[in-house]
Amino acid sequence: MKKILIIALVLLVAATTVFAAGTKEQTSSKVLTVGATPEPHAAFLNLIVEDLAAQGITLKVQEFTDYVTPNEALETGELDANFFQHVPYLESFNKDRGYHLANAGGIHVEPFALYSKKYNSLSTLPSGATIAIPNDPTNEGRALLLLESAGLLTLDAKAGLEATPMDIADNPKNLKFREIEAASLPRVLQDVDAAIINGNYAIPAGLIATRDGLLVEGADSPYVNVIAVKEGNQNDERIVALVKALRGDKIKKYVASQYVNGEVVLVTE
Amino acid sequence: MSKLWILVFQSTGQTLAMVFFSTFFSLLLGLPLGILLSATSSEEQGGIIPHPVLNNVLGRIVNVLRSFPFIILMILLFPLSRLLIGTSIGTAATIVPLSIAAAPFVARVIETALKEVDPGVVQAARAMGSTNWQIIWKVLIPEALPSLVSGVTLTIINLIGYSAMAGAIGGGGLGDLAIRYGYQRFRGDVMLVAVVIILVLVEIIQVIGNKISARLIAKR
Repeated sequence: MKKILIIALVLLVAATTVFAAGTKEQTSSKVLTVGATPEPHAAFLNLIVEDLAAQGITLKVQEFTDYVTPNEALETGELDANFFQHVPYLESFNKDRGYHLANAGGIHVEPFALYSKKYNSLSTLPSGATIAIPNDPTNEGRALLLLESAGLLTLDAKAGLEATPMDIADNPKNLKFREIEAASLPRVLQDVDAAIINGNYAIPAGLIATRDGLLVEGADSPYVNVIAVKEGNQNDERIVALVKALRGDKIKKYVASQYVNGEVVLVTE
Repeated sequence: MSKLWILVFQSTGQTLAMVFFSTFFSLLLGLPLGILLSATSSEEQGGIIPHPVLNNVLGRIVNVLRSFPFIILMILLFPLSRLLIGTSIGTAATIVPLSIAAAPFVARVIETALKEVDPGVVQAARAMGSTNWQIIWKVLIPEALPSLVSGVTLTIINLIGYSAMAGAIGGGGLGDLAIRYGYQRFRGDVMLVAVVIILVLVEIIQVIGNKISARLIAKR
């Protein structure tokens, strides 16, 4: 037991020394350390290492498997940027912890879309149509915001991201809502005029947002995954180069080959 | 707040509708099944027309139905709901899975109540030349009536519990209100109101059930 402890201690010391050496390197202004969750975020970043190197920027990708540490590390300055979250999550972090994180650009969305078995375009959706939406606070609000972005309804300005059908201020098409558990939505699609379904439940049911969706979340959605930076660094040349590279052809090709079912949709602003 | 009160009011109505209709239909399905289960059981267990094969098959069906987690049963029964109600979602559509989930429970409750009837009474009826049909309707059921009423009370209260899960398919109701607003949206006040109304409903049903059962026993 003691031996194991000693070995562990030695390893720990060695690891910290290596890590310390690594951080010293980062102080150079042309090194960009970005925290990201593995898929697809870190994969995207690894693809553009060369593009940035050509511009004299050394991109270091630090992978995280949780959603709290990358923001903590960004706030303390250990990371120059991170790439794993959407704007509502970032804002709640700023609010709850007094952090100063900002959105430097949206990259992709894991799509949320309106599907229908009865109508093939949004304009043919009749007045009084019944729309099934998820019944949990986050997804229900997200669904209503999607409808609002398409001009189908107006939400109370105070409703925020967790709106419910009670917060609808104006409903010109007189749409009716059925609040259903998110996982059941693909199964009830045939019983309603349309349903708004999360990608992770739509794909196994054979629904592809980019192909079957009547209305798909786009660049204006608050749920776009963004590059987050410390407030004031949004226009840092390294960050601008990073966002530009992430919107380049390499990423487009990767998404087209890797996410054939449309699990990930790139946005362009 | 007024909008929430309307929601509480609607949810109470949905719960009452779901529980009322599903109690009715589960009795309609469960009563004959329970009588058959009791009647076809072995002679030692008080079966009046013992039939081991039928008894076994029925018993298995009841056990299979009772094993399904309710939420899965709801989804499996979507095609049936569509056939009977025309849709798989909403308050009316949840009555189908609720009735089918409660029916095997009702069958077991009825089976147990009938088996508790004193075999001497059945033998006496048979000695006087009663047919099986007469034994069931004129002897077993009247004799077991107080237990049957208790069983129905138990079923109704169980259905109130099951109906809380109906929210998953848009059935609404008080349990769904408590989950979606009280739990998911941290509205403690809504949760409290919903739970208190459920508590009052359970209390009323239990008291009425006990009263009827006691009166039936006293009448003998």
